[in-house]
Parts: sequence; C-alpha cells; structure tokens
Amino acid sequence: MRTKTVIRLDSNESAGTDNRKPSKITRRTAMALSTLGIVELGRGTAMAASPDGQLTWAVHVSLAPTWFDPAETPGIITPFMIMYAMHDAMVKPMPGNAAEPCLAESWKAAPDKLSYEFTVRAGVKFHNGDPVTAEDVKFSFERYRGTSAAMLKARMKAVETPDARTVRFVLKEPWPDFLTFYSSATGAGWIVPKKYVEKVGDEQFKKAPVGAGPYRFVSFTPGVELVMEAFDGYWRKMPTVKRLVFRTVPEEGTRLAALKRGEVDMAYSIRGELAEDLRKTPGLTLKSVVIQAPFWLYFADQWDPKSPWHDQRVREAARLAIDYKAVSEALTLGYSPVTNSIIPDNFAFYWKPPAAVYNPAKAKELLAAAGHGRGFEAGDYYCDTSYANVAEAVINYLQVAGIRLRLRPLERAAFFSSYSQKKLKNVIQGASGAFGNAATRLEAFAVKGGAYTYGNYPDIDDLFAKQASELDEKKRTELLHRIQQIIHERSVYAPIWQLAFLNGVGKRVGESGLGLIKGHAYSAPYEDVTIKK
Amino acid sequence: MKQYIIRRTGYSLLSLFLLSLTIFLFVRVTGDPTSLLLEPGASLEDIANLRRQFGLDQPLWLQYWLFVKSFLTGDLGLSFYYRTPVLDLYFERLPNSLLLAAVAMILSLVIGIPSGVLAAVHVGGFWDNAGKIFTLLGLSLPSFFIGLVLILIFTVYLGWLPSSGAGTAWHVVMPAFTLGWYFAAAHMRLTRSSMLEVLGSEYVKLARLKGLPEAMVVGKHAFKNALIPVITLAGINLVVMINVAVVVETVFAWPGIGRLLYEGITFRDFPIVQAVVVLGGSMIILVNLLVDILYAFIDPRIRLES
Repeated sequence: MRTKTVIRLDSNESAGTDNRKPSKITRRTAMALSTLGIVELGRGTAMAASPDGQLTWAVHVSLAPTWFDPAETPGIITPFMIMYAMHDAMVKPMPGNAAEPCLAESWKAAPDKLSYEFTVRAGVKFHNGDPVTAEDVKFSFERYRGTSAAMLKARMKAVETPDARTVRFVLKEPWPDFLTFYSSATGAGWIVPKKYVEKVGDEQFKKAPVGAGPYRFVSFTPGVELVMEAFDGYWRKMPTVKRLVFRTVPEEGTRLAALKRGEVDMAYSIRGELAEDLRKTPGLTLKSVVIQAPFWLYFADQWDPKSPWHDQRVREAARLAIDYKAVSEALTLGYSPVTNSIIPDNFAFYWKPPAAVYNPAKAKELLAAAGHGRGFEAGDYYCDTSYANVAEAVINYLQVAGIRLRLRPLERAAFFSSYSQKKLKNVIQGASGAFGNAATRLEAFAVKGGAYTYGNYPDIDDLFAKQASELDEKKRTELLHRIQQIIHERSVYAPIWQLAFLNGVGKRVGESGLGLIKGHAYSAPYEDVTIKK
Repeated sequence: MKQYIIRRTGYSLLSLFLLSLTIFLFVRVTGDPTSLLLEPGASLEDIANLRRQFGLDQPLWLQYWLFVKSFLTGDLGLSFYYRTPVLDLYFERLPNSLLLAAVAMILSLVIGIPSGVLAAVHVGGFWDNAGKIFTLLGLSLPSFFIGLVLILIFTVYLGWLPSSGAGTAWHVVMPAFTLGWYFAAAHMRLTRSSMLEVLGSEYVKLARLKGLPEAMVVGKHAFKNALIPVITLAGINLVVMINVAVVVETVFAWPGIGRLLYEGITFRDFPIVQAVVVLGGSMIILVNLLVDILYAFIDPRIRLES
C-alpha cells in the first residue's frame, strides 16, 4: 500500500472544483523529508511553523452563543465573524472567490438543475477528531433553522447520501439561487459533527461547540470575551497565530484607547473624528472594509401622478444634485465608494452602472423643465436615526438645487417597520446588508410584492419572472442586468454609497485579514491572519 | 405590629406588580426586536418566524401572564439575543457588579464622609468651598464624560491603567472612581448637612461648655450621630450602584448587570430588560420593606401612627 502524503503546491481554484492536485510521493521519500522537517504527514497540511502568539480584537458588539452554532445563523452579517474561525462550510466566500469549495472538494449541478451533488473533501476532520462525512452534511442541512430555513427546506425534495463522501440535494423544481443560499446567504452549508451534536444536545453544543474551522473553542464569557486556539489539523493550512481573543468593548472611544495602549491588536468600528485620530496615530493603521450594504434614496411617491416625484426629470435632478463623494469624504473619510447602485458590487449578477455625476446646474435645468424653476416643497425625508448625519448632508445638497425636504428621522426599528409596512411617503433613505445576490435584492426592493417595494413597473416584473425560471446563467445574467439598467435609467432610486466599515489595526499585526474576502466586514480567513515577526 | 408588617408587605407586592407591568409594557413600546436581529431587507417569513419563536405573536395579556408565571417559578425566560437563560446571565454578571459597587461604595464613603465633616467644621472656609466644587462636579458631570477623560489621561497619556475589561485589581480603579464620585458627592452633602445639624444641637454645645477638646466634640459626640442618615443612604445607594451602573459599565466594558441591561435595551432583548429591572426593583423594594419594619421595631410611634 502506498501512503498518500500531500504537500499543497498551488491554490488555483475555480467555482465548483478545488483544482489543488495533491502531489503523491512515496512513503520512503515522505519519511526522508519528514525526518528533515520538510513535510508533515497528513492531508492538505503544509509544513509550517507551529502557531504562536495571541491576537486580540476589540469587538463592537456582544458575542452571542447562538453564533457558535451554524444551525441558528440569523439574517445578519455579524455571526460570520465567529463562524469563519470555529466552523467551515462546504462552499463559502473566500479571497478572490465568492463560492470556493472548502469542505466540499467539488460539486456539480445536474443538467436539469434539479439536483446538486457535492463531494466531501477527503481526510477533513472536526476539532474532536471525527471525520467530516456526507452524513454530517445532511444532518447540518436538516438541522438548520436559521434565516431562510423554511424556504430552503420547502424547495428541497430530498437530501441523499449515496456514500460517505457524496451528498446530493434534490430540488422539487429548478432553483437557480440554490448555491447562493447554500454557500453564503444562510448557515445551512456550515457543517457540524452529527455524532457530537446528538450526544451533547443543542444547548450543550452552544456551550462547547465543535467545528471543522481553523480555530477551536476554548472559552466564552458572555459579554466579556471569546477565546479560541489554532486547530493544527485544519485542512487548508496551519494557522500561524496560536490564540485568538475577541473582547467585547461597546464604547468606541474605549476601543480606540485600548488599541493605542496595545491592549488589543485590532478594533472594529471606529468612525468619524475617532477614525481621523486613528489615521493620524503613528503605528496604527486605519483599515476600511466595504460591506454589502448600499444606501439609497427611494422616491416612494413616483407612482402617484399628482406627486412631483412622478416626473422622471425631478428624480434625475435629485440624483444630479448630490455630491456623493463629498458626503463620503465628510462622513467616512472617503472610504465608502459611490457605486451608484442599490446592488452590492460583490453580488452575483451585479450590473455596473455609469459613474454617479454631480451636476447641480443640470439638476436645476431639469427641475425648471419639469415646472419647478423656483424649486418645490418635496415633502418628508425619512431615515433611520443612526444615519441621520447622511440624511442631513443629502438634504442640504437637495436644498441648494431647490428640492426642499423635511428631515423625519425615525428610530431604527420604527423606521424599518414603517418602511416595510409601506407607511412612509415622499423620500426614504434606505439601506440593506442582507445576503443573497442581485435577484434576491431586487425581489425585496424593486419587484411587485417586494417587502420594501412601494410600486412597480410591469416590464421589471416580467423580466424578473423570466429570470426566476431561467436556467441558463448567461441569459439569466442578461435579464438581471436589464432590470438594473431600467432602475438606473428611470431613476427609481438615487443610490448614495456602499458603506465602508472602518477599523483600527495595531502595530503587531502582520496580515489583519480585513478586506481579504470581498464584502465581508471582519477579519477572515483567520488562518491567513498573521503577527509581524 | 403583625398587621403593620402584613400591610407593608402588601404594598411591596403591589409595587412589584406595578413595576413588572410597567416594564413589560414599556419595553414593548420601544419597537419590534426582530428588526434588530435581522438585516433590513430580511424576508417577511423570517421576521414572522422570529416573532413566533419569541412568542411575540401572542396577545399582550397572554405574554404578560406567561412572563409572571415563569417569573414566579424562578424562570426569567430565554434571552432573545444570547438564547441563554436570563437567570444564568444575571448571576454570571452579579459578582462583577457587586465588586464594582463595593469598591465604588468604599471610595465614596472614604472621600464623601471626611470631606463632609471637614466642610461642616469649616463652614464658609477653604474646605467647605473645595467640597462644594467637588460636589458640584460629581453631581453634574455625566459619568460617560468622566470615564472617557480618565481613560484619556490614565490609559492613553500615562499608560498606567487598562482601558477596559475586568480581571485584575487595576481594572476596577477607573470604573469604581467614575461610579463612586457621584455617590461621594451625595454622601458628602448629606454628611455636611447632618453634621451642621448635630453641631448646632444642645448636647454638642454642652460638650463644648464642659471644655472638651474640639476634636473629641466633633469626632465622638457629633460624628457618630451625624453618621446615621449617611449609612442609611449608603445602604440604598449600594443597591442602586449594583443595578444601574449602565453607563460606567458600558464605557469601561465592565461585565456587570448594568451592561447586561444596556445590551438588553440595545437589542430589545425584552426578557433581559424585564428581568434586570424587576430583580433590581425587588432588591430596592425588599431593602425598603426591611427598613420600614426595622424603624417600626425601633420607634413604636411609626407602627401606631400607621
């Protein structure tokens, strides 16, 4: 029998398959190299120095134990901060690839798109030493009860496990977005050990979670800190940092002070003047991450013929009247890019619109042509109070052009509740950080019946219905691009920016992991994070 | 006496009922917790599912009944955010709050009482004026401001003390001082006024006329009697310190009950807010009940009048 010893040589991946070919060498060669300390026996583990040192994050939110269990993944981005360390997914967003095979070595969709077959990566283990099997994958899917769980399961006919390394998801009818939901929009594809969960139960699992990620759980004190240690059997690579500590520090000024004093190595969410202070502090680095959260103005009355917003020229004038770059510069030090779209630029099927233009003269011309040469009373401007500063800047620009609005900030919950119940009018400053792709965003914000759609355009609805059943990806992309183009041309929205999340990085940090995965707000993948030597 | 205790206990239970009802309704006025636990743009199905999980789809009266029923059996519910029994969270944080409150109380007494005595003995003098400034600042400066200034000085500029967290004796210094200053000011004011009242009394005049040294008059005869209301106030303040150090615990990331309450409010975690308020309220009601009963024991006029 020949021993398979693997040295990872390259990292060329393409969607659907992990192309890293294991190089096979003989037992004798392996033993010789091993003696020399050149290779380490074991699948996928390159020889690397043992993990060493500790990195500490000052985290802006309180960590919840539910985030230790992928089955309870809620519809917010924060739990992925922990999941990338403790757990691993069959397919997940990674640097340079929005759907990289991880615990899955490969996958393929049936030609009729009624089933997806995944091959579990060979030799991968959980932190307790149990191998990751097809049964674990099936169990994790069936156990999943987080965001979109009902929808995922309603579309599923069966989950089959023909052998220990093969899992087949059989759908009731073709669903082009299956992989989006399985890989990034939910936690259904993040794998937990079946045997362990069944043995300890759901509650105990949250207290002592076991995963297949690069770091294993050590301790958790609610509201205080989470400690994890490097898992030396991680398949992708050996983490270089031995210990990760996530310390909750709710106050922004305190986080910055802790970073300055070297108590922590990274501090999440440092904004405004504090970010400016951070940028000026020698030894510290301001690191921005653009997250999948575009902000926009929504002209809620555009379907009312009596409203000035019904006139497309008025909506265009509003778009031209705002200096988005200046707003970004003033409020997020210029780190929030002006993408001119309500779809995040890292989403599948994103259509890149022409760059936003600031032209107040043209805005006034358009208003005059629409019969508002002296400007007009444009009604109310609703926003979430947390982002009233953005609203103030935008309202000032609109005022200069002659569009006079009254600011109506609402507390966050009241705002989103009123927004979804279609109670707001005139102009709404909205935003969304929900997962998915362009289709899922459009469904909520631009198509008839959408949770946040105040009116509809029949041609957009028709195109959307077509794309929902289109199995040819190229044709589907064209349809979704066309919808985005129409939204842009008709100025249904005035996109403001895609929000940047500003963080501080201390001098001990080599690779912070911030921004490696596009759209992901936090450090990841953690096995790539390093301490300066 | 028995009737008095029964009546007082009845009032306490009524207060507790009103408190529980008020907080139950107030937290629900703040809005829907699902909007903070899901991203904007979440599907209506997800929102409905979460509301069902939390029991928020039930009628209000039923939600209240379930809350009271579980509370009476010692079950404070499951946190919406942590998905952990609230009682576990509460008792995990309680030792930290007790430690912070104890140190802050010691600081407030060590600073407040001597400075109050000094101010009373030197009315209108330097110590009195210095005490007034100290009191004014302690009572008027918001604790988040004091906390941040202390962090700026002792952490950022001098590098002497850790900015936040818990674990060592150094961690408790700044939060305890921030929390203690307000109460030191309150204790100082009460000590001063109480001392002034006692120093003007007949028996102190007599002690002076007898030719006792001033230190003995102040220290032995006046101070002991002036201390009674201060100690009573300190007892109630200690309960307050344990339960309402929200801002101080947040600024210094101190893992106590105040921060638990802050987290509960931030995430509209109704079970946490309800539990912290009702348990804190229960402590205060219990202390007041004991004080009432104690007074009645000491002074028969109280129970006879009532």
